[in-house]
Amino acid sequence: MNTGRQPGEMQIDSRERDDVLLRRSANGDEEAFTLLYRRHQGPIYRFALRMTGNTWAAEEIVQDVFMTLVREPKKYDAERGALGAFLYGVARNRIMKHQERLPREIPLLNPEEEGFAGYPQAVDSKTPAHWAELRERREHVRAAVLELPADFREAVALCLLEEMSYEQAAQSLQCPVGTIRSRLHRGRALLLAKLEMLRDTPKRAIGTR
Amino acid sequence: MTCEEFQMADLDGGLTAEEGPLQQAARQHLLECPHCAALHENWQVLRTDLHALGAETWEAEAPSRVELRLRQEFRIKHKTLKRRRIALVAAWALAGAAVVVCAITWFNWRLQQVQMASLLQTRGVQSTLTAANSTGSIQHVNPAGPELGEALMASNDSGDFTLLPGTMPGSLDDSTVVHVQMQRGALGALGLTVNEEHAADWIQLDLLVGDDGQPQAVRLLASSN
Repeated sequence: MNTGRQPGEMQIDSRERDDVLLRRSANGDEEAFTLLYRRHQGPIYRFALRMTGNTWAAEEIVQDVFMTLVREPKKYDAERGALGAFLYGVARNRIMKHQERLPREIPLLNPEEEGFAGYPQAVDSKTPAHWAELRERREHVRAAVLELPADFREAVALCLLEEMSYEQAAQSLQCPVGTIRSRLHRGRALLLAKLEMLRDTPKRAIGTR
Repeated sequence: MTCEEFQMADLDGGLTAEEGPLQQAARQHLLECPHCAALHENWQVLRTDLHALGAETWEAEAPSRVELRLRQEFRIKHKTLKRRRIALVAAWALAGAAVVVCAITWFNWRLQQVQMASLLQTRGVQSTLTAANSTGSIQHVNPAGPELGEALMASNDSGDFTLLPGTMPGSLDDSTVVHVQMQRGALGALGLTVNEEHAADWIQLDLLVGDDGQPQAVRLLASSN
């Protein structure tokens, strides 16, 4: 697992500083708030993006999360955990609300449409056919991830996409490590099942969703 | 090793970790179980795809407009808070000032009451005024009007005056004696009790009038009693 850039680890190290910054921010120090925002917005944005698959939704969720810090900084209790975990918790609630607002049956988004337009595309030096196949497969994987139940998707987003350790993911989602492993295990099984199905009948599966 | 154990170990990257008893058992299971071998192969492909998918957004960050909006909101919120605090402090200061004014007024009033009571105690309830200023000879016109038959008198009389309610004994130094004729009922307006049966009777009396023109003490003349 990649541990060099993990937000969870950074949050533990800077927990006290986060507290200080948050206190200053609550007293009207805009610079402290900006520092806090810049420190935590990246992981939260990526988490929201991977959970919703939509850049606009991710942007709105990040804004809502930090608006909570602006309006109700006392909601965060330093004794209950790191600020990063608190922000992930707020983000999860917002993501859930976002998902509830969506219609129950949604078509798989076309990669060219708005939802995925914000994703940077991989550059491959191989043949166009290879690139096209790779891209198609990646879109299938992305769609399969987005179709996972929220609990499994969270574990996949944090452990497999953000490449957090199980401990860091457990801290962010405020649940035991065993729960993360179990969700990941079941999420992997679902992903494999979905991708197997898509591999067999890709066009029909896309068309009927 | 069971299939379940193998899958958990595979998920944790057990096969790629350093060689140990778990890895040996996993490799052995892989050779013996075609289902787990297929699953492992699929998982490796999926893992690569997921890694690539994650790598696409590893550097993704919220657009700068989000930060601008948040900072703007931050400024608005704290400006409003500051204004509210100032208004709150001003309101409390005004309330405090009002309380202080009320307290001072009440204290003065109480002080006057105490002084009055102590004076009345020393001189008696119907204190006689012997120190009415009798040196001046200023004469005043009775505001009641000439039809009452008032007569201006020299203020050098000295007799028994009864203080009207609310009059401070100390303020009688510069007062003047005014001789007036009035109906007995008018004494009620000065705060004295009047027998209603004789309210219409005309009486003559001396009023001790202060600098402010207000009667402060009264003396009924013997003829009108």
